[in-house]
Amino acid sequence: MSVRLGARDVSRAFGPVRANEGVSVEIRAGTVHAVVGENGAGKTTLMRILYGLDQPDSGTVVINDQPVRLRGPADGIGHGIGLVPQELAMIGSLTLLENLVLGTEPRSGPRIDWARARGEAEELASRVGVELPWTALADNVSISVRQQVEILRALRRGADVLILDEPTAALAPAQVDDLLRLLRGLREAGRTVVFISHKVDEVLAVADEITVLRGGKVITTRPVGDLDRTSLIELIVGQQVGFTGFVPSAVTGDEVLTVAGSVSLSVRAGEIVGVAGIAGSGQDELVERVVGLRPPDGRITLAGQDISTLPVDRRRAAGLGYISGDRRSEGLSMDASLADNTIAGTHRTLGRHGWLKPSAVRAYAKRVLDGYSVRYGRTTAVARTLSGGNQQRVVIGRELDRDPKLLVAAGPTRGVDVLGMTYIHDKLRALRDNGSGVLLVSEQLDELLDLSDRIIVLHGGRVAGEVPGGPASRTAIGTLMLGRTPS
Amino acid sequence: MSVCPRSNPDKYSRVLTSGFRAVVPFVIALVIGGAVLLATGHNPLAFYQLLVRESFGGTDRIAATLSAATPLLFTGLATAIAFRAGVFNVGVEGGFVLGGLTGATVALHAGLLAGCVAGALAGVLVSALPAWLKARWNVDEVVTTLMSNFVVAGLTGWLVTAFLQAKGVANSATPLIPRSAWLPDLLPPYGLTSGVLIALVLVMLYAVWIKHSVLGYELRQTGLNPRFSAAQGIRVGRVIIVSMLISGAIAGLGGAAHALGVVHRFVDGFSPGYGFTGIAVALLGRNSAVGVVLGAVLFGALASAGTTAQLFSDIPLDIVDVLSGTVMVFAVIRLWRQR
Ligand SMILES: Nc1ncnc2c1ncn2[C@@H]1O[C@H](COP(=O)(O)OP(=O)(O)OP(=O)(O)O)[C@@H](O)[C@H]1O
Ligand SMILES: [Mg+2]
Repeated sequence: MSVRLGARDVSRAFGPVRANEGVSVEIRAGTVHAVVGENGAGKTTLMRILYGLDQPDSGTVVINDQPVRLRGPADGIGHGIGLVPQELAMIGSLTLLENLVLGTEPRSGPRIDWARARGEAEELASRVGVELPWTALADNVSISVRQQVEILRALRRGADVLILDEPTAALAPAQVDDLLRLLRGLREAGRTVVFISHKVDEVLAVADEITVLRGGKVITTRPVGDLDRTSLIELIVGQQVGFTGFVPSAVTGDEVLTVAGSVSLSVRAGEIVGVAGIAGSGQDELVERVVGLRPPDGRITLAGQDISTLPVDRRRAAGLGYISGDRRSEGLSMDASLADNTIAGTHRTLGRHGWLKPSAVRAYAKRVLDGYSVRYGRTTAVARTLSGGNQQRVVIGRELDRDPKLLVAAGPTRGVDVLGMTYIHDKLRALRDNGSGVLLVSEQLDELLDLSDRIIVLHGGRVAGEVPGGPASRTAIGTLMLGRTPS
Repeated sequence: MSVCPRSNPDKYSRVLTSGFRAVVPFVIALVIGGAVLLATGHNPLAFYQLLVRESFGGTDRIAATLSAATPLLFTGLATAIAFRAGVFNVGVEGGFVLGGLTGATVALHAGLLAGCVAGALAGVLVSALPAWLKARWNVDEVVTTLMSNFVVAGLTGWLVTAFLQAKGVANSATPLIPRSAWLPDLLPPYGLTSGVLIALVLVMLYAVWIKHSVLGYELRQTGLNPRFSAAQGIRVGRVIIVSMLISGAIAGLGGAAHALGVVHRFVDGFSPGYGFTGIAVALLGRNSAVGVVLGAVLFGALASAGTTAQLFSDIPLDIVDVLSGTVMVFAVIRLWRQR
């Protein structure tokens, strides 16, 4: 028995889009198998099929060398397969322990045996080497902790194959290290891991074998030893990629943003100001105050105008753009059409005497979506049907197309592929070089160091310090993030 | 992701499935009703044939069905507009009743048009406070609008007995409105008034407006995802208030049309729960214009057929209540799943 899980000639189309085309993969037991590829390459689709959440149009799933038909996720679970989805689905008002055992609670008679549940949870956690605050509400813990609970949840249901769809997209570097350690531990315990990521360094660090998808087809499957960073990126995108690296701003002008309050800072025209800090250090509050989604705790000016008390639409009219860090519930409306998502915020200027002309709406949406190379079928399709990275491009396109004076960008490349990331980075630099200011909030230290002209480090809701952009500042940021002063 | 694994994005099949989902509750209702009829020794097929004949078999019967559907068109549309904005306004009943009393009273002195306008304004008044409480303080609108129904019921009862009681009429009722202020009949001699035209025009306006106007766009987005809407600069609170006020105006206008066209005065028991049936109409019609028309006509058919079908069979009228009750249960389940 060598192939624990696999696909044999699997195809799946959504209308005109061929998400998977003749895909064959073999995932051997006891390995970490990475699946990589551009946005929309068909990774999530393949994983959903392997888990039983979706059924192929043709071809079969293979489990333990045998072709099988999975009719639903219950079948997948029955075969020992667990999926941790791209978008975590946890109940925020329940504790971690409750989330862990939800649906499969240990019982004594009619009642839930919480003591036993707790015992099982502790045992499971220690087996994979993590420690979790079991009584905390899911809403109050970081994404990284929630992810660990999802993994344990799958293990608890008897999964010995774990599929993780872009688990590191929203994690800070230290948390990524923790996760990779956990995955290696699972492999040592004889389990099988399928791992999706756009970050080639992680993939090379943890995987035994790597399958590359492009345009719904398998390009190759190779052992990790045959690949290095450059060759893997070339396989993924099908061409060589030039990385721009750190390019400081040439000229800076007047202040386009000033913020006074618990966090005080300013952004000048022609400048990208990064904001670093461990999750929950005040980044969200800062962003929401600047955008106008939270009452101000001090004066905020945009291009010299006091905007502290203005509603969001007036701030946007004054030149504010906003890339939300929460794409799923704030950046996009998942059940609205792509057209409706694209015109949001511009819809008033697009309207004539209070009416929106359908042809004008469609033309506007098409121009923006095509301009930012979004892979989509029709502008009437709902945003949910796009792949994760393409959803992000919709947000980027909508916000950059308006040529904002100040762009607030939170996690602008979350879930975006290698090419998309360099593309978005170049766009942000171009915006800056055109004389706009950018306030960039990101968990990705590399992104901050590459893009920012200055980096402000937050700790405990206050400014802990400021460092210049560029690779040299890496250690200083790390120290400041923990609330210490660099020597 | 959706529950059904094969989510086909093809438009044609989407229309089919949504139509299918709208019809399912009625089919199940017919099956349950059929079972009850069989168990009591009746022939369900014969009875359903009778129902169809009594609701659509002939101009007079169609007129009666449309007449019964008219108040439901108003209340269904009023509910749908609020629901579309994500506001669960269950106070349309109150707007309808206060609109009826106000319309009947104003028309008595100032004529037809003034009566209609006053009725609509009364409906706006009923929804204004819950709208503001929801937009400003995020007070649950289900509670406030439900309460407003009781307030209106008490208020109208008191107003009629204390000030507006017609002389020489035993039960509590306002004076008869002069014929000049009635809504004209559409199909004399049948009792169908031009109220149905007003309602249908409003439904058509809604269909275009919600889809193609700037405000309609903002209303749809607010209903789909208020957090997204706020972040894009849509003033969610304002949209919620506007949707509630429009909803109230339509409910009030519906009440006035019912008073001026059908009852010709305001009486005790003016509405047998049109506002509540309107909730079912909106839910089953999935808040779409076409759905509201279909839902209102179906409930109207049940109501109009029920009253006469009795004359021709020994089946108790209650079976019609079983049918509409079953449909209602489905509507409530859908409401519960939407929230
Ligand atoms: N339910 C659906 N309906 C319509 N199209 C879909 C659906 N699911 C996926 N697609 C399309 O299939 C293609 C592959 O999507 P998939 O989500 O598998 O990509 P991915 O490789 O996971 O990309 P990403 O890295 O951006 O997450 C995309 O073009 C997407 O738009
Ligand atoms: Mg994906």
